[in-house]
Amino acid sequence: MEIGIDVGGTFTDGVVMNGGQVVNWVKKETGEDIASSIQGVLEQLLAGIDPFSVKRVVLSTTLITNIIAQGRVAPAGLILLPGPGVNPRDLPFAAKAEIIKGAVDYRGRIIEKIDPAEVSAALKRFLDSGISRIAVACKFSQRNPALEEEISRLIEEECPAVRVLASSRVSGLLNWVRRANGAVFSLQVSDDYRLFAGEVAVSMERLGLKCPVCILKADGGTIPLEQSLQRPLEGIFSGPAASTLGALAAGGEGLTSVVMDTGGTTTDLALVLEGRPLFSEKGAFVNGYPVCTRAMAVASLALGGDSTITLENGRVVLGERYGKAMCLGGARLTVTDALVYLGLSDLAGREKILPILEEMSRRHGLEAGELAEKAVSIFLESLERKLEEMFAVWEEEPAYRIWQVISGQKKRPRTVVCLGGPAKGLGILWGKKKGWQVIVPRHAQVANAIGAALSKTTLRLDFFADTQQMIYSTNIGGLHGSLEHILPNLEEAKQFAESLFRQAAKELDMPVSRSETLYEEGFNIIRGWNTLGKIYQIGMQTPPGLRAFLEKGAGTGA
Amino acid sequence: MRKTALIFFPAFDWAISPSHPEREERLLYTRDQIFEEGILDNPRIVEYKPRLAEIEDVERVHFCVPDVASQTTNAHLISAGSALKLGDALLNREIRNGFALVRPPGHHAMRVVHGNRGFCNINNEAILVEYLRFKYGIRRIAVVDTDVHHGDGTQDIFYHDPDVLVVSLHQDGRTLYPGSGFVDEAGGPGAYLKTINIPLPPGTTDEGFLKAWRRVIKPALEAFKPELVINSAGQDNHFTDPLANMRVSAAGYGKLTEELKPDLAVLEGGYAVETALPYVNLAILLALAGEDYSNVIEPQKRGTVLRQSEEIEQAIDRITGYWQEKLGREPPGKDELFGGKGLYLRSRSIYYDTDQIYEQQRESVEYCPDCPGLYQVESRAKKTWGDSRWIWGMSIPLYACPACQARAYEYWEKIIGKKNSGNGPDCFYLQDKKGNRYLREKG
Ligand SMILES: [Zn+2]
Ligand SMILES: [Zn+2]
Repeated sequence: MEIGIDVGGTFTDGVVMNGGQVVNWVKKETGEDIASSIQGVLEQLLAGIDPFSVKRVVLSTTLITNIIAQGRVAPAGLILLPGPGVNPRDLPFAAKAEIIKGAVDYRGRIIEKIDPAEVSAALKRFLDSGISRIAVACKFSQRNPALEEEISRLIEEECPAVRVLASSRVSGLLNWVRRANGAVFSLQVSDDYRLFAGEVAVSMERLGLKCPVCILKADGGTIPLEQSLQRPLEGIFSGPAASTLGALAAGGEGLTSVVMDTGGTTTDLALVLEGRPLFSEKGAFVNGYPVCTRAMAVASLALGGDSTITLENGRVVLGERYGKAMCLGGARLTVTDALVYLGLSDLAGREKILPILEEMSRRHGLEAGELAEKAVSIFLESLERKLEEMFAVWEEEPAYRIWQVISGQKKRPRTVVCLGGPAKGLGILWGKKKGWQVIVPRHAQVANAIGAALSKTTLRLDFFADTQQMIYSTNIGGLHGSLEHILPNLEEAKQFAESLFRQAAKELDMPVSRSETLYEEGFNIIRGWNTLGKIYQIGMQTPPGLRAFLEKGAGTGA
Repeated sequence: MRKTALIFFPAFDWAISPSHPEREERLLYTRDQIFEEGILDNPRIVEYKPRLAEIEDVERVHFCVPDVASQTTNAHLISAGSALKLGDALLNREIRNGFALVRPPGHHAMRVVHGNRGFCNINNEAILVEYLRFKYGIRRIAVVDTDVHHGDGTQDIFYHDPDVLVVSLHQDGRTLYPGSGFVDEAGGPGAYLKTINIPLPPGTTDEGFLKAWRRVIKPALEAFKPELVINSAGQDNHFTDPLANMRVSAAGYGKLTEELKPDLAVLEGGYAVETALPYVNLAILLALAGEDYSNVIEPQKRGTVLRQSEEIEQAIDRITGYWQEKLGREPPGKDELFGGKGLYLRSRSIYYDTDQIYEQQRESVEYCPDCPGLYQVESRAKKTWGDSRWIWGMSIPLYACPACQARAYEYWEKIIGKKNSGNGPDCFYLQDKKGNRYLREKG
């Protein structure tokens, strides 16, 4: 059996799954302390279940997001080695930056050496302003990390108490701003994250759970808790990943659908295409800063079940959340209340809404039903605009190869999986209006936890090698180095990439059996009339998907 | 705030041949530099997806022999289509300006296309110009070609069009392919001084490059008042380019872009794939977006100043002086330039370096007081290894008068009626830009 827990802003969901079957589930309000919320949910989930039969626990939490959003971060500084290019002062770096000499080019060649005195001076300025965590980011450090490492070493020698993190250890992807910010945030949250991981381990111990604990990643894969200590940002934004996987579990293998997750204040929209969640092309944003974390493409609509219904000059308007829905004892009329009135919600409390709804309608010369319908249709119009925007972004994804351009029109999904209380009613109306298929999973209220429980261990490797420079690098932070063999053709390059893939899986403690190739390219490096070497770009990953799908009948069409 | 759009199409799966300068590797380092900079996260820059150009978009410009499909691959259609996509975004007011960072290039492709010339099959900028004029009713467009090679294809296509100003800034044709682009190639009698060639001496630096822009091109644009400016952004004026001998740097290209403010820039040549392209492309992109490009300094340039000799200085002063004087005077009228016969005739031979084709052409333009006049061309081409082609084509200008348009169809009927298989052209073309109708008949 597997346990999945999703700690959301308001609720913490938990499920015990036996393959595609929900054995037990819990939904509780999230408390002040995330670790104790997890422990509480685990305790309830395990009632009547032998802890030894649990083979894995997967956690999805908002912990890192909360730490950063609430500004509970440790101060960090950034040493930048920009070399030639964009003015670094114009780039969105997430910390106070010191810019120093030293540069690497796109081939990984050092084109300017560092000046140790500059490093020393930068370090002193950081220490003087109370900063003792320092991220180091050099442009193209993934092609050659030597300068970043040299600086790290200099700082550690001069001041062993300072914590240094080189950006190439965080990610090997192109985009030094994202790598730099990734390093900054990793340093800033690492202490709190370590504390959290320790508390989770204690809970596990206390409850007699001996199985591995994994963290759900933003890309829908999992990483062992122990490994995630080195890469705390991997677990950021796992909420949308959990709900998308939960929707996929209900929709079945090969699902092509929009996933609509409606909460109190926002509605998250994601896409699943032929069983594969759609990823954001560039990476995630944390607190408005771009980071290197790969995440699912999620569009957010600033409307949810608790959005209030008001009238402005006789026009129905949806506004901010002021609290619970009126049917649940809140003070103002909400979208949820409109759904309840129209008979599109499972919630009771219609009688609590009636007087106000009728009074409000009368004042504006409307029928109560008209007002409720109007409010809901405003929601659907916003949803339509957002979906249109999301489809356009997806269809307009840049393409750098001929086959990507000519591979034809992308087919828009006409199915929606509805998650979250108000989603069901809204989805049913959307389905009627647009002729879409609507799936409301039976366990929609704990879909995120199901998604977490059924998630697979995944690994993606983007491999790059330059046989003239005899270097290779990967997307995985820290996994780069010198080539020992020349890799004369694409086939050998692929074999080498495959071996790195296996090695990475082993080091990350991930049981990986199969890999699929995403792309493979070999370029000739020609200068004058001579071929000086080759550049290879190879992408491989474990096939995405789920460990199991919910048993038949779990999803209900409407 | 409207954004600067980028279409980056490096065509990682297309090459003329594995070791040709126009190969898969060409924009690899540019990709690395631009992606690594994080500049695509800049809110002032937006990336668009390339698309294919339609066959008709190509027929609006070229007589492809025997047809468009045999002269283009998907890569060509995507390269041209990317320019069109940005053109649409611009005219729909989605963007402030745009950069089609695409390959293969196009500015050596002339009106008649028998094969590949100077790495080009179809002319991306010309296809863009005609598309925008047809679709959006724009009339006056300027194309400023800053490639080191003379933009002879673009010149050829618009040589008789008074509404398209073609300016080419390039290394003197006596020292570089394609060996043309001299000051006396200044447009046909109906479009005189709507072609401006500024041949610069080898060794010209940023200073000379910018001087030619400020002294000649800028005032010419101010006088012409184009509705749209397109930059054929070749980067082989760079001091490290292996195919040419100029000494321009990324900063020079950045400055020119900043001052020229093209609405759309389309990549042309540039074969220093490592030392120039990553930096020049970045500088152009930043300049278009109004961002600081002063830190885009090639490692080869650091600590040195690229200077041009006194002699080069003087040559640049002579050529810019020539144009200042020429453009300062009232040019002779169209009637005078056409002469008594009212017919412009030109015979010439054209060499296709890449495909080794020799083409012989006879062109004519009829004088019309009301419009640019009908254009006809007869062309025979022979490949060194056999196979020859003979074609005849007629073009009705976009702003043709109704009489000329009607007469063109009369000619066409007559010629098609009389065609004699086996003993005449292999292919006949009627290009009706005004009616957006493109006819082709086998001989
Ligand atoms: Zn060129
Ligand atoms: Zn006429």
